[in-house]
Amino acid sequence: MSAISLRSWLSCRLRKLFGDNHFGCIYNRPYLTSTNLQNVQENTDRKYVKYEDEIVEKETEKFRVFEIPGLKRVQKERWIQYKKREFEAQPRFKQMLPDQDWTKIWPGPATFKWSVVPFPVRQGFIPRPTIGDGVPPGKYANTELIKIPNFLHLTPAHIQQHCQAIKKFCTPWPAGLESDQKCHKHFPLEVVTQDYCFSGSSVRDARARSVTVQFKLSDLDFDYHARDKFIRLVGPRYNKNTDEVTLTADRCPLKTQNYDFIVYLLTALYHESWTVELWEKEKTLDDMEKYFWDLNASRKTILKLLKQIHTIEKNLKLSSNVKALPYMPENPSEENVLALKEVQSYKEAVTDLFNEDETKKNLKKYKEAVRTLLNIPTKNISISQRQ
Amino acid sequence: MAAYCRSCSVIMQKVNCLGACHPFKSQSLLLHYIRRGFGTSTICRALNPVQNKNLRAGKQKVSINHDKPLTYEQTQPPNMIGVSKSWNSWNSGSLNGEREKNAAQIVFEDIFIRKFMYGTWHNLFANEVIIKRRYNQIIIAGLIEQRNHNTIYFLIGYTEELLSFLLKCPVKIEIQTVADKKDMIFRYI
Repeated sequence: MSAISLRSWLSCRLRKLFGDNHFGCIYNRPYLTSTNLQNVQENTDRKYVKYEDEIVEKETEKFRVFEIPGLKRVQKERWIQYKKREFEAQPRFKQMLPDQDWTKIWPGPATFKWSVVPFPVRQGFIPRPTIGDGVPPGKYANTELIKIPNFLHLTPAHIQQHCQAIKKFCTPWPAGLESDQKCHKHFPLEVVTQDYCFSGSSVRDARARSVTVQFKLSDLDFDYHARDKFIRLVGPRYNKNTDEVTLTADRCPLKTQNYDFIVYLLTALYHESWTVELWEKEKTLDDMEKYFWDLNASRKTILKLLKQIHTIEKNLKLSSNVKALPYMPENPSEENVLALKEVQSYKEAVTDLFNEDETKKNLKKYKEAVRTLLNIPTKNISISQRQ
Repeated sequence: MAAYCRSCSVIMQKVNCLGACHPFKSQSLLLHYIRRGFGTSTICRALNPVQNKNLRAGKQKVSINHDKPLTYEQTQPPNMIGVSKSWNSWNSGSLNGEREKNAAQIVFEDIFIRKFMYGTWHNLFANEVIIKRRYNQIIIAGLIEQRNHNTIYFLIGYTEELLSFLLKCPVKIEIQTVADKKDMIFRYI
């Protein structure tokens, strides 16, 4: 391809590229014509374009002839900038030393700057290696890197400097709060609040008003009645498995007000739990929240049964070695019988069976308790007998 | 089972369901929310192949001689936002609980800022104006072509001052220069 045809091809390309408003960078530069090739040849070193309008030949001495505009073709001479613009100075990363202090160069959060970041980095997606340079776009003129947040202001060196700066404000961890148990003992209330960060002209957020207070029920001083009443009062806010009460308030517009309300609520609940109303004494067996052995028929039955066995035994006057119930005291009064270890374990087994599930463990416990109570010997079956 | 993403009108389908074709179809809705994260620019839509073929909005038309220069931003269609290119507006307006509060205000202000930058920095920007919001601060970033320093210093001060007064919050300009706008060209189509 000769030089002329190459240049005209180039001019055609450039006109298509930058002549119209398709592309963001609009160079409304005139295109190359074959007539000004020589001028371009001479001005290749010029950085900026010098735009010259039509050069009208001045023929002052001749008789002026009227020229109808547009009838005769007027040749135009124009310059073209065919050389790319270049930077006035080197980018900053080329002047950096390898052992420089990065914290001085990037002191705070900032948008990614290709001219400052000294390492090579690429971001972008190329569906095929034939597109672009065959690799994802580099850092120079890369918009994607400008968009994304970066952490160049949070390098280990930065963090170290931050720590050094705030070290003087730090105090030692208070003595006596070494473990979580100790912390919980001294600070039984756990207050949970939220703060919201968002982009907007106001720092207020209505969602930040809600306050949650958590504490263990065992931290409060209760008897059985007060504890039961407290649980009934708080309802679903009590978690049986973790023994935790969670109180949440968002009725007031401010966080402090909600916290104050919860503290008031807690105080009111506590004192209300301790009061016994008159109607609370009208509680019958059907109203009980769980099984009480002492109030139920099982107690009476056992007492009656044991007493009966004792009486029969006494009447038969058997020898002291073969007693049906060896643990029975001489005086089988109600207090004496109830204080017996065997009766207590039976009571516990029956209560567990009612209050908890009929699990294997509870059933086994009940079996053992009954055996001990009635003195039924365990069959010692040897392996040979089983076979 | 299909789930519906409120923030970008995407119907998420599980992998075993046929019909939907989405960049994130193999991921859960939660992950989709996370990936979508911040930003309120263009809507990301789920399309099947036929719909995708007929979609023309936001796509560049191929020229006859395949010599139309495009930046990286222009080569990626809108449905690839969050996949191969990110948003031009970075804010918390699309987060849960934020949308009702100030999303509309943010979009309105962003349009205003873009118009302002287009007029004030006329023919200077080599890429789209990128608007980031951090707390009450607005950061306007972008790439410009090199001009003499006095012009740029004036424009930065003028823009920051005027926009700060107009939007009633601190506005910062973080610009960088490229040698030539042609450096932005990624491919020709």
